[in-house]
Amino acid sequence: MLQVKQLDKRFGHHYALLGVSLDIKDGEIHALVGENGAGKSTLIKILTGIYSSDGGNILLHDKKIEITEPKVARKIGIQVVHQDRQLINSFTGYENLFLGLTYPTYKVGFKIRWKAMKQKAEQLKTNLGISLDLGKLAEHMTPSEKTMLEIMRAAMLDCRLLILDEPTAALNDEESELLFDLINKLVAKGTSILYVSHRMNEILRLSHRVTVMRNGKVAGTYFTKDMSKEKLVQLMTDQTTAANKHIKRSVNSSKLDVLQLEGVSSFDQKVQDVSLHVKQGEIVGIFGLAGSGRTELLETIYGTRKIRNGKLVIKGRNITSFSPKKSLSRGVILIPEDRRADGLILNMSVRENMTLSTLPKFSSIFRMKKKKEQAVVHTWMGKLQVKAVSQEQPITELSGGNQQKVVFAKALLSDPILFLCDEPTQAVDVMTREEIHRLLIEQAKKDAAVLLVSSDVQEVLDIADRIYVLHEGKTVAEFPNKAVTSEQILQVCYNQRKQSDVINE
Amino acid sequence: MNRMQTTYAVSLRKWFRVYGTLFAGILIILCFSLLSPDSFATVDNVINISRQISFLVIISLGATLVMAVGEFDLSIGAMASLGGVVAAKLAVAGQPMWLCILIPLVVSVVIGYINGWIITKFKVLSFITTLGMGTVLGGITFWLTDGATIFENIPDSFRYLGQKMWFTVPILSFIMLFLTIVFWYIMSHTAFGRKLYAIGGNESASRNAGVAVAQNKNLAFAFCALLAALAGILMASRLGSAQPTSGDGLFLPAYAAAFLGMTSFKEGVPNIWGTFVGAAIIGILANGLTMLEVPSFLQDVVTGCIVIVAVILQKIGRDAS
Repeated sequence: MLQVKQLDKRFGHHYALLGVSLDIKDGEIHALVGENGAGKSTLIKILTGIYSSDGGNILLHDKKIEITEPKVARKIGIQVVHQDRQLINSFTGYENLFLGLTYPTYKVGFKIRWKAMKQKAEQLKTNLGISLDLGKLAEHMTPSEKTMLEIMRAAMLDCRLLILDEPTAALNDEESELLFDLINKLVAKGTSILYVSHRMNEILRLSHRVTVMRNGKVAGTYFTKDMSKEKLVQLMTDQTTAANKHIKRSVNSSKLDVLQLEGVSSFDQKVQDVSLHVKQGEIVGIFGLAGSGRTELLETIYGTRKIRNGKLVIKGRNITSFSPKKSLSRGVILIPEDRRADGLILNMSVRENMTLSTLPKFSSIFRMKKKKEQAVVHTWMGKLQVKAVSQEQPITELSGGNQQKVVFAKALLSDPILFLCDEPTQAVDVMTREEIHRLLIEQAKKDAAVLLVSSDVQEVLDIADRIYVLHEGKTVAEFPNKAVTSEQILQVCYNQRKQSDVINE
Repeated sequence: MNRMQTTYAVSLRKWFRVYGTLFAGILIILCFSLLSPDSFATVDNVINISRQISFLVIISLGATLVMAVGEFDLSIGAMASLGGVVAAKLAVAGQPMWLCILIPLVVSVVIGYINGWIITKFKVLSFITTLGMGTVLGGITFWLTDGATIFENIPDSFRYLGQKMWFTVPILSFIMLFLTIVFWYIMSHTAFGRKLYAIGGNESASRNAGVAVAQNKNLAFAFCALLAALAGILMASRLGSAQPTSGDGLFLPAYAAAFLGMTSFKEGVPNIWGTFVGAAIIGILANGLTMLEVPSFLQDVVTGCIVIVAVILQKIGRDAS
């Protein structure tokens, strides 16, 4: 039905997709799997008209088509249900259902024919066998009801291909079952499904065929019945490039713990019962899939997320009151994931950004010690090789990598004993990535402790001494970084089964 | 050669973005000087203008502080009225002058801090909160005065600050200049000022950098209320009477001045000298137009249009860069 041939997509010099080919048959559930950054989202965005491709063709029933904008995709019957629900909370189910469609109105005047709308919606509901109170406001709906509503919305239009992006991410087991029933009903009516998920069990159970993506390329399309979890994960992790660059450093076991967590849960339960410890001079990696609570864990330690219970000990002192300011005074620093939103003051200069955490060093009550500030900033720009015209240059004019260096310089200025790094090399160039890794290892040599969160297994394997795997807010495994492979770590993540799988097997 | 021309054009544009408002102010002065040469461009009138704008400048400084942290305080007009009324009442009751000034100032700091506390503690919009506070303060002012102007039995000493001169320059003008310099210094040469700007620039990043966001915001609101009350007291002193609505007229021009100020010196950022220039432009316009016998309603129209044009120019300037 839909054929994708040799699709390319470039961002700058970097290929996000390279020669991607894929075909989806009528009434097929086609699964799409791959690691973070393998190119799944990019492919979906091209199919739905959000991105344009830089090469290759898309054919619909053997006819070449150009999906220039989302409207076009909808018109030719490609509908998508995004991971983050796109509903208007203050609207009812009915209103959300007709969003973006022409409302049925009376011939005279513009009054909407609510009755006709309701009838049409109810009919669709019966056709699909969904039980859902459409009179409810979207904000009062459960995640499952919202998913159903979104699928109904897709079905309102001519829906030949339905793309589902992590549809079960927010659903519990029973709700997932309802979703699977609905998917099967749609397929029976001839709709094709492109099913994107991290959950191997669902894929194996639901799909007819599965395409594995890796580093922007298709690693292969297979019949699901020939596949197993192990095989899929193996295909996803590219063994050829996975040479472990980790330089083994022996962490003296007599060193003291800088950070100890015992049964720590956050108030919103995004972090549940986490226990871990980080020693002086140790780099500890935390790996987990999207939504596993990685960022939330660091925020809980740093004090930007409320802690519910558990014990948090820093350098032998039991911590009972939390705030970033207090964390900083204890020598704990957070390198946030989103540096533009949480790390930098965008309308300030390199200098002003760099000294923000350590203003007391550069000021008395009555004035800023400008000379001292300038001298120190100058030194650190040199040390970290920050490329900027001057320290007065607005931070926004710097490249991502150099901005991140400023964030690191700011952190280093406060002489931290514990670094909480959240995706420290995200959206930085390869050179800077190496530099940041070297910097963290150097800090570890100086007896600082590093807790590193990354969605890139390779990064964790490259520099961490010990690795924890996080799943649904809990630590589920711990590995010393010896002879452990990315495959093993991913197996742990993907093998976290849901209750329903255990029952069904 | 070509490249030199382009860099020249770029630097000219940049110069215009940074000093454009100041330039416009000078242009306005030149126009009025030509239109009414005998009355506008005289030493007496300059002194007169400096006295007229002093209240506006002082109250605008406070508005600039809260705008720097990314908030608004809509209660400053009511705060000024209350400040003037309390001071006048105390003066009528025969309290010593220093107490008549100190008490309303202390009250204003407490009220400002409460404003900040409500906003930072409950994470509510400053817009609505201070609108509510302004209404409360207005009510209290009316209760204190029964809605009437206080003018009887006000001692002469109360008029000292508002009406006396030092070396032929009004004391009011000295106070205005002194406070402008003090707050310019605070905002650009102390860690406190740096923190306020950081909070306004990115609250989340500031918090992560260990800046006590709530505490500093509360202080900004306290300073803002303090300056508003002071403007109200000085205005009562100048008039020798206190009206329960005297501050209302200052509220909108104060924000107009601060917005105009954002178009100069530190572009897109509320800044003290920018606010000073903004307030001066508004004051000079009022003065010059009055001399040209332009009716006051038309003056409002002109002032309003200038503010709108200023924000548009600033937006265009920023998009071009």
